[in-house]
Amino acid sequence: MSVFRLDMADVPAPVRVSPLIKFGRWSFLFAGILWGASRHRSLSKKENALREIEEKTRAAREAKLAEEKARASKAELMALAAQAGIKDFTP
Amino acid sequence: MAKLVQSLSTKGPVMMKALVDDAKPKFATFLKYAKVELVPPTPAEIPQIRSGIQKLLSGFRTGRWKQLTVKEAWLNTLVTAEVCLWFFVGECIGKRSIVAYKV
Repeated sequence: MSVFRLDMADVPAPVRVSPLIKFGRWSFLFAGILWGASRHRSLSKKENALREIEEKTRAAREAKLAEEKARASKAELMALAAQAGIKDFTP
Repeated sequence: MAKLVQSLSTKGPVMMKALVDDAKPKFATFLKYAKVELVPPTPAEIPQIRSGIQKLLSGFRTGRWKQLTVKEAWLNTLVTAEVCLWFFVGECIGKRSIVAYKV
């Protein structure tokens, strides 16, 4: 059972990483955090502006869509009636 | 189901304690490596960093990179890739999401 336990004696010694590599790693990490935060902020601003515009035009847009739908369904009913052979059909 | 909940509530704290006790030496080992390998470079090591950069640039200029063995070049590539990948880890932390910018 003691074979499977990790004793302090038989682990390999820690590697002395070159300072250039350590400097590179940490500086890339910080640069990435700054880049991610700044990009997130700018994208959120754009998205909020777009959302406001969308809110404002919502009523007009929905009315137009509803009207389109009504017209399309009416045309479909007329076509069905013509196919079924009903003359003078008014929905 | 009730029996499972009951047994979990009685054995739960014991299990947690066993987990923590098992993890402590492993965490100590991790700390032992982290103190040497992961710690950021101290200001005392700045001249070493400068000389390292100089060595890289001069080696690139003199054309020594054409005389590297493939194994050395491959190792250098891997190390460079690992250093560059930390940028993306930082970006994930900065945008507070793993996959996308959730605006």
